[in-house]
Amino acid sequence: MVSLEIDGVSCRYESIQVLDSLSFSANEREFIGVLGPNGSGKTTLLRTISRTLKPQRGVVLLDGRDIYQMANKDVAKQVAVVPQDSIVAFNFTALDVVLMGRNPHLNRFQLESSDDLLIAKESMELTGTWHLANRSIVEVSGGERQRIIIARALAQKPMVLLLDEPTLHLDINSQIGVLDLLTSLCKDSKLLVIAVFHDFNLASRYCDKIILLHDRKIVSFGEPEKVLTKENISNVFRVEAFVKRHPMTDSLYVIPLLGSRSREVRREDFGVHLICGGGSGASLMTKLVREGWSVTAGVLNILDTDHEAAQTLGIPIVSEAPFSPITKEAYEENLRLIEQADAVIVTEFLIGYGNVRNLEAVKAALEKSIPTIVLDNIPIEKRDFTNGEAERLFKELLAKGVTIAKTHDECIRIIESLRNQRFS
Amino acid sequence: MKVCETEYLRRYGRWKYIIVVLIALLGLVTILSLNVGFAQIPTSHIVRILVNEIPILGNMNSGSGLSESERMIITQIRLPRIFAGILVGVSLAASGAVFQGIFRNPMADPYVLGVSSGAALGAALAIVLRVGFTFFGIDTVTVMAFIGAVAATLTVYNIARVGSRTPVVTLLLSGIAVSIFLSAIVSMLQVVAGWDLHKLVFWLMGGFSYAEWKDVWAILPLVCVGIPLAYLFARDLNIMALGEEEAQHLGVDVEKSKKILIVLGSLLTAAAVSISGLIGFVGLIVPHLTRILVGPDHKILMPSSLLTGAIFIVSCDALARVVFVPSEVPVGIITALSGGPFFIYLLRKKKGSYSL
Repeated sequence: MVSLEIDGVSCRYESIQVLDSLSFSANEREFIGVLGPNGSGKTTLLRTISRTLKPQRGVVLLDGRDIYQMANKDVAKQVAVVPQDSIVAFNFTALDVVLMGRNPHLNRFQLESSDDLLIAKESMELTGTWHLANRSIVEVSGGERQRIIIARALAQKPMVLLLDEPTLHLDINSQIGVLDLLTSLCKDSKLLVIAVFHDFNLASRYCDKIILLHDRKIVSFGEPEKVLTKENISNVFRVEAFVKRHPMTDSLYVIPLLGSRSREVRREDFGVHLICGGGSGASLMTKLVREGWSVTAGVLNILDTDHEAAQTLGIPIVSEAPFSPITKEAYEENLRLIEQADAVIVTEFLIGYGNVRNLEAVKAALEKSIPTIVLDNIPIEKRDFTNGEAERLFKELLAKGVTIAKTHDECIRIIESLRNQRFS
Repeated sequence: MKVCETEYLRRYGRWKYIIVVLIALLGLVTILSLNVGFAQIPTSHIVRILVNEIPILGNMNSGSGLSESERMIITQIRLPRIFAGILVGVSLAASGAVFQGIFRNPMADPYVLGVSSGAALGAALAIVLRVGFTFFGIDTVTVMAFIGAVAATLTVYNIARVGSRTPVVTLLLSGIAVSIFLSAIVSMLQVVAGWDLHKLVFWLMGGFSYAEWKDVWAILPLVCVGIPLAYLFARDLNIMALGEEEAQHLGVDVEKSKKILIVLGSLLTAAAVSISGLIGFVGLIVPHLTRILVGPDHKILMPSSLLTGAIFIVSCDALARVVFVPSEVPVGIITALSGGPFFIYLLRKKKGSYSL
């Protein structure tokens, strides 16, 4: 049973404070991710735990023993480090480098034995690098080198494995390979893994707990659900992001939104109602919200992609039960939102008997002379699953004078000019 | 897999083979070198003279037919000269390997921490001031050169120290600074040297013309203790190739190892320089060349490079004695003239597979 306890650790380089009274504890079989913006102290935290940078205040306890009171070699038997990048000065072979991981277990007068060689071989097989054993470490690719260095760390037979951005130089396939490996080591070999991450999604997918660092302090520590909230990400990284649970991986995923135009330009005075469904409106909806328009939508079935997008964006919507036709109540609720809007946008959604009422709502909007824009790239015949009823309604709409748009940008230009007309 | 494992362990066997070959080569050049010189002495005489020197065998063999002058040339001139060459070659190559390892840089050499300029200043002072005393029978120039070398290294080390650490970059820079400063003083002494200038310049160029048994005995203990001690740090040097922080993560007490190795490397260099003067190139090129031939592992690199250093110096010194008979060329010129082109050849040939 290995336990690591960091208690009130403060560090400084010269006169610059880099860590300020950090405390947390961790146990074997835990996979802990460290997240934080550049310069928040992630690497410093790892250096403190690896006995590289002695903290000014506070202690790092490994199984209750202060690591700064232990011999360097004894710490190296229990704590292994995989740095961001390893530059090896001379052309040692990969196997030479992995065997260096046995150093903490050898005294000055010993040569590496066949047992050490066996451990090195096992480590290299685990990381899929055994075929590189006789290759020079300076000749292998960045990803291969990273896995060789992980093999070296494993050859130390450590209890605690510290990694500084283990996936930095890796392609997506190797990233997943390395993180899967770390997870299985963590669970099967009872390792405590602490790794610095930059990728929220990989971190939330693989880590049991996450430490969020900001401004030299721990902002949040705990399960990914607790740490990776919209508020935390916005406070720490100054980006707006959506946090959702992915249905396939059952882990959180974070989507940062680009730009911050909504803070500069306010268009809340102009209401846009979206009639969409089946995912046809989600991206336009997001764009409109980001640009600061006052957006509503409906009627959308619960579980519909557009419904989820609207909920994530937190805009007012009219909902209907999953897989159910639009009821009269929902239809009328939708009309009320339409009447409050300054413009209506109709996306290219598929129309069946369940949602054909949404087209009738468009007709109602036109009758109330609310400007209506229709996206029309996919011919109505291909979207009509009502034996012609939708097509008939749609043609009626066209006859009544809707504006046709081909792209989202065109839509936005149209409502922009509508808004300008109204305020000039 | 089994194949690969045994192959890896088999390299220990290959290492033994390399060492045996190098020792044989050293023996060969030693014998050849004994035959080389202004005085023509037949090989059969040389063998008999040597046998005579061995206590028990010598009694069984009458010394008849051997001239006293031939005996003197072999035992008092050529032999001490060869042994001094071996010790100097061994020391310079070993400390070159150590410094290149510490600094993770194949451009480092034994003189990188100011040893050479310190020794030069010590020797120059002794020559110019004509300090007359001898120290336990050892020449003053030797003693002063040794003191100067050690003092310069200590100065460099203390300038570079930041708290309990000595970063390699500051070490290199303060080494350069101190070297430049001390060299300027030596140049100044050359200006005022007058009649001693010839002796001083000859010392600075380095060589074994005046090597005697007492020089060999003076540095032998240091070499015999220093080199095995440094070899105990062979794995530390390997691991330091990963960088100091990573070496520390792998259980190497970097600062302690570095300090011990700097002390050993500097003492070995100081010892070599004090009896031979400044012989350039050996400490830089021999470890480098050996690394190309046997690989970067210090466990084999150190022994093979110190043997190569001895072979190289003894051969160069033999050449130095014969190329311009009857006058002698300073051995430092021969080392550079012969080693340079060979080194360039190796660099070109191995360019593809060799990396710094």
